[in-house]
Amino acid sequence: MAEISTAREVKIAGHPFVLRSSDVVRAMRRVDPEPITSHYVVVGTRRFPPKQIISALTGVDRADFTTHHARRTLIRLGFSAGRRPARTTSIASGPSRRQPAMDSLPLADRLRPFAGSWVAIRDDDVLHSTESPQELVAWLNRHGQKADSMFRVPGDELSATGLAPL
Amino acid sequence: MRLPFRDIPDPRTGSVRPRPIVDVVVDGLDIAPQACLLDSGATAVRFGGHVADICGIDLQDAPQARLAVGGAVVTALMAEVTLEIDDGSQQLTWSASVWFCEPWTPSFGLLGLTGFFDQFTVTIAAYEEWLELTPLN
Repeated sequence: MAEISTAREVKIAGHPFVLRSSDVVRAMRRVDPEPITSHYVVVGTRRFPPKQIISALTGVDRADFTTHHARRTLIRLGFSAGRRPARTTSIASGPSRRQPAMDSLPLADRLRPFAGSWVAIRDDDVLHSTESPQELVAWLNRHGQKADSMFRVPGDELSATGLAPL
Repeated sequence: MRLPFRDIPDPRTGSVRPRPIVDVVVDGLDIAPQACLLDSGATAVRFGGHVADICGIDLQDAPQARLAVGGAVVTALMAEVTLEIDDGSQQLTWSASVWFCEPWTPSFGLLGLTGFFDQFTVTIAAYEEWLELTPLN
């Protein structure tokens, strides 16, 4: 089924752009998410700092616009946004059908979209996810981050159970 | 040290399954503690080979064995490593013979009899969803 792409005309640091949600998804597919300090936006199953996305998409220096502007622009494109660590007021979702308000769910439910992926967990939150454990540890090293736990989210019954090796 | 079970999504039923899982720092790699399942059916501590890789554990000339794991035969290499569990107020550190296995399908490391259950008195309260580790003297 074809996916609906939302388009918006926006001004970033005085420069006009036409941004499409599909362009955001495509542009961020191979981008390594930077650590989340406060605000984030969910693209696919990954969280990015809002300014990282807008800067990657437009080429505008992130010093030239605010997190609030970037976040609001992305919400208008249909992406969910959140804030950590204030969990009680964390989600300010836009009109997206793309992502549920993930922070309102228990961690186990928030892990479901990551089935089969390697995740780093900190403070009951998904810090980062990758396709391999080596990539995950490399990301932690690169960004000076420390996880509470890392594992592959079970994608099938075999990976979820104790195997009792003899 | 008393620790709560970890809620893990069950891929088969779509429900949440609380499991006796603890986070273990392997060979000092404290930026990425490995989630491990307490498995009294396992005779030893087992991890995937990737854990040796990311921890930089040298497995050249390591003792080797072929094991049946979950119906598959895996190659396991053994190294003596330091393991640590830290709940924020207490640290439990011990040395164990750990087998690093390839291929490895489980999502978690497995804490088995030798190297884990022989280091602690382990209480598992499945109904109340907690476990308790008391180091043996």
